[in-house]
Amino acid sequence: MNTIDYVGERLWIGHIGNGFVVLSFVSSLLACILFYISAKNKNHLNFARVAFNLHSISVLGIAGTLFFMLFNHFFEYQYVWQHSNTDMDMKFILSCFWEGQEGSFLLWTFWNVVLGLILKKQLRDGLWEVPVMTIFSLVQVFLASMLLGIYLFDFKIGSNPFLLLRQHAEFSNLPFIQNADYLAKLNGRGLNPLLMNYWMTIHPPTLFLGFASTLIPFSFSIAALWNKQYTMWQVVALPWTYFGILILGVGILMGGAWAYEALSFGGFWAWDPVENSSLVPWLVLVAAGHTMIINKNKGGSLFTTHFLAIGSFLLVLYSTFLTRSGVLGNASVHAFTDLGMTGQLVIYVLTFVLITVALLINNKLFKITYLILSFLILVFGIVFGYKKVLLMIWILSSVIITAACYYLYFPKEKEEEELFSREFWMFLGALILILSSLIIIYFTSLPVINKLFNTDYAPPKVPVYNVWMVPFSIITMLLIACAQFLKYKKTNSKQFIIRISYSFLIAFIFGLACTIPLYFMSNFSSSSAYDKWNLISYASLFISSLFAVLSNSDYWLIILKGKVMKSGAAIAHIGFALILLGALISTSKKIVLSKNTAQRKVSGLGADFDDKKSILLTQGDTLPMGPHLVTYTGKKREGINVYFNVNYLKINKNGKPEFDFTLVPHVQDNPRMGKAPEPATKHYLNRDIYTHVTYADLNIDTITSNKNVFATAKNYIGHIGDTIYSSNAIIIIDSLKTNINKSEYEKNDSLLEVTAVLRCLDINSKVFYAYPKFIIQRNVVIPKEAIVDQLGLKLVFWKINPDEGTIEVTMSEKLSNNRDFIVMEAYVFPFINILWLGCFIMAVGITIAIIERTRLIKLQSSKV
Amino acid sequence: MKKFHILGILVIGVAIGVILVSLKNTSTYADFNEAMKSPDKEFHVVGKLDKQATQIYDPKINPDEFLFSMIDNKGSVKRVVLHKSKPQDFEKSEQIVLIGKMQGDDFHANDILMKCPSKYSDGKPQIN
Repeated sequence: MNTIDYVGERLWIGHIGNGFVVLSFVSSLLACILFYISAKNKNHLNFARVAFNLHSISVLGIAGTLFFMLFNHFFEYQYVWQHSNTDMDMKFILSCFWEGQEGSFLLWTFWNVVLGLILKKQLRDGLWEVPVMTIFSLVQVFLASMLLGIYLFDFKIGSNPFLLLRQHAEFSNLPFIQNADYLAKLNGRGLNPLLMNYWMTIHPPTLFLGFASTLIPFSFSIAALWNKQYTMWQVVALPWTYFGILILGVGILMGGAWAYEALSFGGFWAWDPVENSSLVPWLVLVAAGHTMIINKNKGGSLFTTHFLAIGSFLLVLYSTFLTRSGVLGNASVHAFTDLGMTGQLVIYVLTFVLITVALLINNKLFKITYLILSFLILVFGIVFGYKKVLLMIWILSSVIITAACYYLYFPKEKEEEELFSREFWMFLGALILILSSLIIIYFTSLPVINKLFNTDYAPPKVPVYNVWMVPFSIITMLLIACAQFLKYKKTNSKQFIIRISYSFLIAFIFGLACTIPLYFMSNFSSSSAYDKWNLISYASLFISSLFAVLSNSDYWLIILKGKVMKSGAAIAHIGFALILLGALISTSKKIVLSKNTAQRKVSGLGADFDDKKSILLTQGDTLPMGPHLVTYTGKKREGINVYFNVNYLKINKNGKPEFDFTLVPHVQDNPRMGKAPEPATKHYLNRDIYTHVTYADLNIDTITSNKNVFATAKNYIGHIGDTIYSSNAIIIIDSLKTNINKSEYEKNDSLLEVTAVLRCLDINSKVFYAYPKFIIQRNVVIPKEAIVDQLGLKLVFWKINPDEGTIEVTMSEKLSNNRDFIVMEAYVFPFINILWLGCFIMAVGITIAIIERTRLIKLQSSKV
Repeated sequence: MKKFHILGILVIGVAIGVILVSLKNTSTYADFNEAMKSPDKEFHVVGKLDKQATQIYDPKINPDEFLFSMIDNKGSVKRVVLHKSKPQDFEKSEQIVLIGKMQGDDFHANDILMKCPSKYSDGKPQIN
């Protein structure tokens, strides 16, 4: 093989980058080992810290190198070539950084390092530094290996962001490799235009910080199991857990906002696997946060707390596997492509499950049995196969052994919980969250279940999720409404019921006043049992979330006398209740404005098939749509986007239409993903009008030039009385008139003239006549065309078939007759602002709670 | 028995119940023949666009109706009535997933998922 001296390649930076990659892996491994042994021998602690710092520096080094390469367009590197180009706006360089898998793993690693450094400082020389940092470093070992990109035998470990383009497996046999000067002529492929959106600059880092922060409660919990210090850890981990709840929650909602603004999902939440797989860890983390509070205030719920704190992180790992391995296949619109790391991801998830279960088992005999069993299963699997069956046996035995250990050996409560105690209701809430998580993760995992059991279940649709989740939301809302008024240990039930009944009565009366017209007025009695169930559950959720808002406001303003710093929990709960209320109203009362008037009915197929939700707008025509009149006035192209201008008119007091506003939905002619519609939304305080174009011609040229040219003629054969359809009129062959005047005929050398009387009716039934003539002179046919200017039609009568009694007419239409049109969907989302307001209030509430908790910890530690 | 234990068992019971109930109603992937056999059930049918057959989309008559033909993975061809507007880039799709029911000889779909050429195959390094 002869080597080519490529011109201009900057190989040095790849070496630097790879140096950092290897260093970050080795140093995290070193840090993990050193922290581990410093549990017994404190002499190694300083070395361990240095190793972790070295790891941090090398992670920053990888990120810095990648940024430098992206910023300077080093297209000889595959990652840079794939995710950026010279034409793009540099403000999206961050999005380039995390568009690919390698970059997003790097982002995750980066946040882990940031959190690890803060934690290392916070815990310095304390009880928790060594075990927590050991776990932290262990996770970093796994994450750092995701960037290695080396082969161990035939097994690929990681995917390297510093791979040269010409070394990439898919491109290494392309002709450009032969060209020593290829780099001078190469431009990058560029960022996916769909991601050129400000949400895409802030949503991924927020979400990944959220994912990273689930590592903190996980590490503490594992560290506690390892040290057999089952209770002390919550004090430090609690604010961090709520930090995770805050950041992950905000990150998820940002994703929803992005989908609502920039994607044509038709809403803010679509129960997409990618959305679900970040929602479930959040729900579990919320449950963990609540059981930690129970444990801190009263003891108890210890096993549950450990289980949830660990579960949240394991679910983050599992969702990484779901979205990155390609296992979802057809189920998701935005899963990542498979980079050949499926095996590695499975191994990571299973390894952490193994470590967790082994530590949860606090009986030596059981622990050793479990480890030996796992090892045997692994060996058996490698040697004999049967991987699926063995995997299931292993999972089952892990669950059984853990449960057995919990019952036999885990420290437990002695006293019975009171029914009217805060901890009991909080625990109930945590259980509801766990149950919802189980159901969502089960639905989302159907593609995995298909793979394991060779079944062929399809992923469920949005209504399935909604039907299951609404009852759980109702219970959650009732618990949120009541729990604050209960005291820990024991509450006077009479006082409690009296207190809570104020809010409940107001919520119930006001709720009924709202929900009766909303859900029960129009044909409730005639709807199906399924619909009735839905309507009743919507109304119940409406009342219960209102109840939650009112009772928490009551608690905040009356009981806590409006003291903000004490009321973080109440405020956060008001926010959460508002989120559900906003989601409920805007989704259940979503109105389809763009109902089309097509007559065809598809009966017998069910309600799903009958929703006529698109409207055809022809340029220039004004059509009624809901309370508005809409006019599509034209389109323009800017870069890869085609903008469709739609004017909305309203009827004013005098009954005349009057311009109201303009919405400009656009379609992105995305070179990478095809045509992607992006919505346009008119925001009002109490509703949003949301529109997107589902079908349109993106060509600009065809409409601007040649307006007056006639298109190709089409031939029509018909009897008298038959009709011809043009795009804008109906043409009836009314009659034929001959004028054979004998003297004329002879004088003009055998002239025969037949006139067709064509009656043309336009859309408004206005009549125009056209008189094309069929003339034979000296045995030659000379047709005389007729043009109807008002309709842009040219008609030529050119043949008579005397045997059939038919005539033949050709018709051509002016190009301007084929007016441009768009097919559009338009919805009203009522009161969606309640949802966004709720997000904001919840974020504020959690932030207040974190600040207050941190203050209390400092206060306590300074007292000691 | 403590209350928590009763609750724990209740949670597991509800979870299993939900799974069993939903499994009954969960739509499955199938081919046209299976869909023919149970015309009242909703199926996901995977296949490819039949490029020879005519496609009819006339938004002037009904913007929410699009007719085309699809070849399922077993090779049988069926006429499809999609009760939605014609998807953009429809012709480019590599693979189609239809969600709907069989009625008579036509498959009526209320939703469609398309797989377009993957991110990696459409962009290869080129030098001009």
